[in-house]
Amino acid sequence: MRTTCPYCGVGCQVEPEVRQGRVVRVLAPDIPPNHGALCVKGRFGLDFPFSSKRLLYPMLRERKGAPLRRATWEEALDFGAERLLEVLKRRGPEAIAVFPSAKTTNEEVYLAQKLARALLGTNHVDHCSRLCHSSSTAALSRSLGGASMTNPLEDIGKTDLFLVVGSNTTETHPVIAAMIKKRVRQGARLIVVDPRYTGMAEAATLWLRVRPGTDLFLLNAMARYLLEEGLWDRAYVEARTEGFAEWQASLEPYTLEAAEEATGVPRERIAEAARLYATTPRAGAYWAMGVTQHTKGTATAQALVNLALLTGKVGVEGAGLNPLRGQNNVQGAGDMGALPDVLPGYGKVAEEGVRRHFEALWGVPLNPTPGLRMTEVFEAIPQVEAIYLIGEDPVTSEPYQEHLKAKLRALPFLIVQDILENETTPFADLVLPAASFLEKDGTFTNTDRRVQRVRRVLDPPGEARPDWWITQELGKRLAKALGRPWREYPHPEAIWEEVRQALPGMMGGITYRRLEAEGVRWPCPHEHYPGEAVLFRERFNTPSGKARFFPVHPTPPAEPPSEDYPFTLCTGRVLFHWHGGTLSRNSQLNAAYPELKVEVNPLDAARLGIADGEPIEVVSRRGRIRARAWVTDRTPEGVVYAPFHFAEAPANRLTLDALDPISRIPEFKVSAVRLEKVD
Amino acid sequence: MRLRVDGQEVETKEGALLLEVARVPTLCHHPQTETRGLCRLCLVEANGRLVPACATEAREGLEVRTETEELRALRKTLLEWLFLTTDLSLAPELRTLLEEYGGEPERWGEVPRRKGREALRDNPFFLRDYARCVNCRRCVDACGDGIMGVYALAMEGRGLLAHPTTPLDRPLPETPCVFCGNCVQVCPTGALRPLSLEV
Repeated sequence: MRTTCPYCGVGCQVEPEVRQGRVVRVLAPDIPPNHGALCVKGRFGLDFPFSSKRLLYPMLRERKGAPLRRATWEEALDFGAERLLEVLKRRGPEAIAVFPSAKTTNEEVYLAQKLARALLGTNHVDHCSRLCHSSSTAALSRSLGGASMTNPLEDIGKTDLFLVVGSNTTETHPVIAAMIKKRVRQGARLIVVDPRYTGMAEAATLWLRVRPGTDLFLLNAMARYLLEEGLWDRAYVEARTEGFAEWQASLEPYTLEAAEEATGVPRERIAEAARLYATTPRAGAYWAMGVTQHTKGTATAQALVNLALLTGKVGVEGAGLNPLRGQNNVQGAGDMGALPDVLPGYGKVAEEGVRRHFEALWGVPLNPTPGLRMTEVFEAIPQVEAIYLIGEDPVTSEPYQEHLKAKLRALPFLIVQDILENETTPFADLVLPAASFLEKDGTFTNTDRRVQRVRRVLDPPGEARPDWWITQELGKRLAKALGRPWREYPHPEAIWEEVRQALPGMMGGITYRRLEAEGVRWPCPHEHYPGEAVLFRERFNTPSGKARFFPVHPTPPAEPPSEDYPFTLCTGRVLFHWHGGTLSRNSQLNAAYPELKVEVNPLDAARLGIADGEPIEVVSRRGRIRARAWVTDRTPEGVVYAPFHFAEAPANRLTLDALDPISRIPEFKVSAVRLEKVD
Repeated sequence: MRLRVDGQEVETKEGALLLEVARVPTLCHHPQTETRGLCRLCLVEANGRLVPACATEAREGLEVRTETEELRALRKTLLEWLFLTTDLSLAPELRTLLEEYGGEPERWGEVPRRKGREALRDNPFFLRDYARCVNCRRCVDACGDGIMGVYALAMEGRGLLAHPTTPLDRPLPETPCVFCGNCVQVCPTGALRPLSLEV
């Protein structure tokens, strides 16, 4: 049976073949978006639902310090509702946060945020996008009025130049990387901006090896150069944008000379990249965490937006601004309102008209004050007293692990709803076992806004239940005690029908029946409408209909290298693993990449006497981890690269919790560390 | 453009392959891998000439025959020799095709088997069992130009010894292989198959 891969945002269609309770083979059908292709995770990593670490029955902790004990569903749900109500009564809605999961379905995210807003009255609703593309969405929203890829993946085949910034696409979105590389073999150009010699850099026509965190300077300098050379799109800028003059004036300091000094990239190459991008009509920008995970993440994403507007690349086929989304349903989680300041469909909670629409639909008054963002919620413990956490392992994925653990210890009530035991489960007061993607129905929305079906192939193991069922049952109990309305749905499709009703212009035309054949992209207002491929062809989704330039300037990293901590630690992913490792390390994939390897440049290794494969310790001001050194010039001198998938050697024990001022994304890409030899 | 296939007039677009208008068996052809013209099973007669349908573009007014006596005999022989030289026990569709064409591999007596080499198990995900390989090249093309652009597989050797393998016959983990398994998906004979199917 066909379903959607649960790993990254590409949303590959997969056909897992299950025999005697095991996935024995995964094939891919010849339909969009992947047309028969998969990567190692979709092909060989879908066996995690059969892991011995599955949570099989509810567990609760009567009081702090007591052990988790097995409970019935009835008992567990009553316990969860009582404790939430107790916090609500004593401290009010501001003391409760709900984190829906970008790994769960649209229907489940919609329901979880509805529970938070319509029953608990809190806008402390957020999801893991806070840690990945929140800075992109901040920049895109304020400039264009929309936070997603502007162009569909099919456009890759029509693109003549790719500007890929801070995306290790061959490892993080391998099927998209294969499409881009194929287009490059057909003659398209590929400009890669990355400090690391990634698979994309290897395939590039022009690789700009910037110093970590200097992309913003580079992009501003490209814009200034194009203005100077008259290579910008005056007609587009005049007709479709605003804020140009002020922004133009802000570019004064960004000469090619200054950019060479700041980025380490020769000025001719910066000029060449700018010239190629500006003069190729079908030039698409693609980016990921190398841009976003900095204290200047929003500013850097904005610099890319500014550059695309200057050259008239947005609203054009084969071009556009394309943030590659990480999680399978991170686009959908945002769309469904798993954010503190917006309701489903991105209408602001602070706007009365938006609230009124949902108040009518849900039959309750809504809280008009935007909530805290995920990183802020953890900081607000113990003012925040209860967290309902779904499908996430913050102990592995949030920065500065020791600090986060201390916060979780101080949290009076934590509900963990997950499919597998992970590093956060031990902190839970209530554990609710959920069904995996193979065991439930629903939809995921991929990186290019395509809503696709998730289909139940198996029954959940033990007493595990689908997330929508759990949230619905918890909501039922809260609603009863609070005397508030709470709809019950027989099947996820009924939840989707409510989503269509809530968002007629965006999702109205997307039905389960249509999704039988293949996914449909939003916005899709009518059932006979194919779904919008390229956004903003005519106008932007801003009040004026125009896109806005915002001046942005680089700031230094929060923790630059020092004498004691001379290296810049950059964290990220590898091909074989997924984020906190909860899925991939409980699958066959772990055999291919069983332990942490940290990339060290050969010059640094020689200076410290570190041999390839030697165990070393990586030490920051916040902790130390042990790893094997991989001596390679993939990573530049002065930089070490550590994937964050390994709970026993967590890179996030080292990272710091400095946040971007606008999006509150942590600076995962720059912390200061030193390397120590192990005897 | 219009052409005739087995007496029927058909219409197709400029640049279409004969395969898109003719119903013929295929083996090496795969839409994602762009492999073409190797196995000869899709040969058709076009204006009296034998051409592979998967590698020949349709032309205005072309007269195409797909099932002449000569073509049937040719396909039958091709299939018989595939079965004689290769272990096709994991390719039920080819077995059906052999029966459809009345193939009797035994009628050729003993012939040298192509390769009796042990299946290679050098990675955690799939094995390479070249005794089942018919050299269709789909895996090589899926890995290279067709899909991935990784080039971890290449053809090696000649004649009966030819088969796909890694550059210099290195174990897969020592090549640029990314273990996407797209080669496994396109393999028509089970020469490449997931280890999870083995237990």
